[in-house]
Amino acid sequence: MLNETQLWAIFDGTVVTIEIALVAIVFGVLFGVIVALGRISKNRIANALSWFYIWFFRGTPLLLQLFMIFYAIPIIYLDATGNTLLIDPMLCAFIAFSLNSTAYLAEIIRAAIESIDNGQMEAAKALGMSYRQAMMKIIIPQTYKRMVAPVGNELILLLKDTSLVSTIALFDLLRTTKTMASSTGSWIYYIYAAVIYLFLTTVIQVVFDKMEKKLGVYER
Amino acid sequence: MSMVKLVNIRKSFGDLEVLKGVNLEIEAGEVVCILGASGSGKSTMLRCLNHLERISSGEIYIEGELTDKRENNKDMMRIDPHKVQQMCAELGMVFQNFNLFPHLTVLENITISPLIVKKVDKKEIEKKAFDLLEMVGLSDKAKEYPSRLSGGQQQRVAIARALAMEPKIMMFDEPTSALDPELVGEVLATMRKLAEEGMTMMVVTHEIGFAREVADRVIFMDGGVICEQGTPEEVILNPKEDRTKSFLNKIL
Repeated sequence: MLNETQLWAIFDGTVVTIEIALVAIVFGVLFGVIVALGRISKNRIANALSWFYIWFFRGTPLLLQLFMIFYAIPIIYLDATGNTLLIDPMLCAFIAFSLNSTAYLAEIIRAAIESIDNGQMEAAKALGMSYRQAMMKIIIPQTYKRMVAPVGNELILLLKDTSLVSTIALFDLLRTTKTMASSTGSWIYYIYAAVIYLFLTTVIQVVFDKMEKKLGVYER
Repeated sequence: MSMVKLVNIRKSFGDLEVLKGVNLEIEAGEVVCILGASGSGKSTMLRCLNHLERISSGEIYIEGELTDKRENNKDMMRIDPHKVQQMCAELGMVFQNFNLFPHLTVLENITISPLIVKKVDKKEIEKKAFDLLEMVGLSDKAKEYPSRLSGGQQQRVAIARALAMEPKIMMFDEPTSALDPELVGEVLATMRKLAEEGMTMMVVTHEIGFAREVADRVIFMDGGVICEQGTPEEVILNPKEDRTKSFLNKIL
């Protein structure tokens, strides 16, 4: 069984995993809304920028983005200024995961907005609302329910992808248990990790199912 | 001064010209019913008034004020989005598919636009909303979501919602076409009440009976132009144009 030190190590690793996933989903949704609005905007510059953003962050591996931020930026900084730059690896993970999930969530949000019947925007405009008012009060609130399932899906993917941070000197859940497994020669630690991952994803699944029901009250 | 004045309105969707030079003036308090086969441009004409579609060329005046002037799909005047919003608030519109906001209750559907566009007092507009609901006969449905209402009830809420903005003109775009036959009457009754109160109305409809009884003027559109207009007796009972006759023969 686990001794106290191991228990705390696993606890700390789990916290790292949860923190990164939560930060990434929260910022991903916030920035994702902005990028999605850019994608459907008639403004060509906003449209092109959003397209480029999604193209880049969806089209390159998350691991590469993590390396770019953790390894490449300090080297570029050193070459440019002659000073060394120390970045907190946790901060790097937050940034990389948020940037990456923004790209995926922007597409989820865009699809949800575009799935709302065009008559809703017309009715809002006919009532004198501005585009912004119509978006904020009429269109986007109707997307919440449609977004819950794919956002929950994205959160589960993020939670598992956090294991990539072992490459930038962070001890997440998987790396912690892997270290224990290799130092003791016992595979049981992988089982602990699996159980914790399953527990976390189950919580996400249950919470998101509840949210979907709650947000759908206005439907028959 | 006329409430609405359209001068040589043209509208194309790509190669398809839907409106081919429409001239029309509507006086305050007038109820105008617009008849015509689908594709004759009658809905498009209404939608051009509140800029849901932009005209390709022509001029639109609302209460004497120029609200749109274009040539070859290019603006011939500065279009201020705020002005357009204000103008839309003066033009109430009722859609074929109701387009109620499903995530808001009946009461919220009615009050949201006055609250966020006109910034009126919440208590005041809620009181007004209840008055409007009473007028359309749905006082007991204020807290319901639209999905719980029948089509006829939804359309009456949509009328109340448009009226809450205190429009000077009400436009109805085939308001009963999506309804089951037994629900048409309640919506027409509400519209009749509105006409009796002196509202200026433009009604695109296939309800010939309603046009005969309620309209001050009937317009028959065909192929993107106004083919014939006059009192209901003139246009519906004694049409002069062959195209009007053949249309009426088909639907009566």
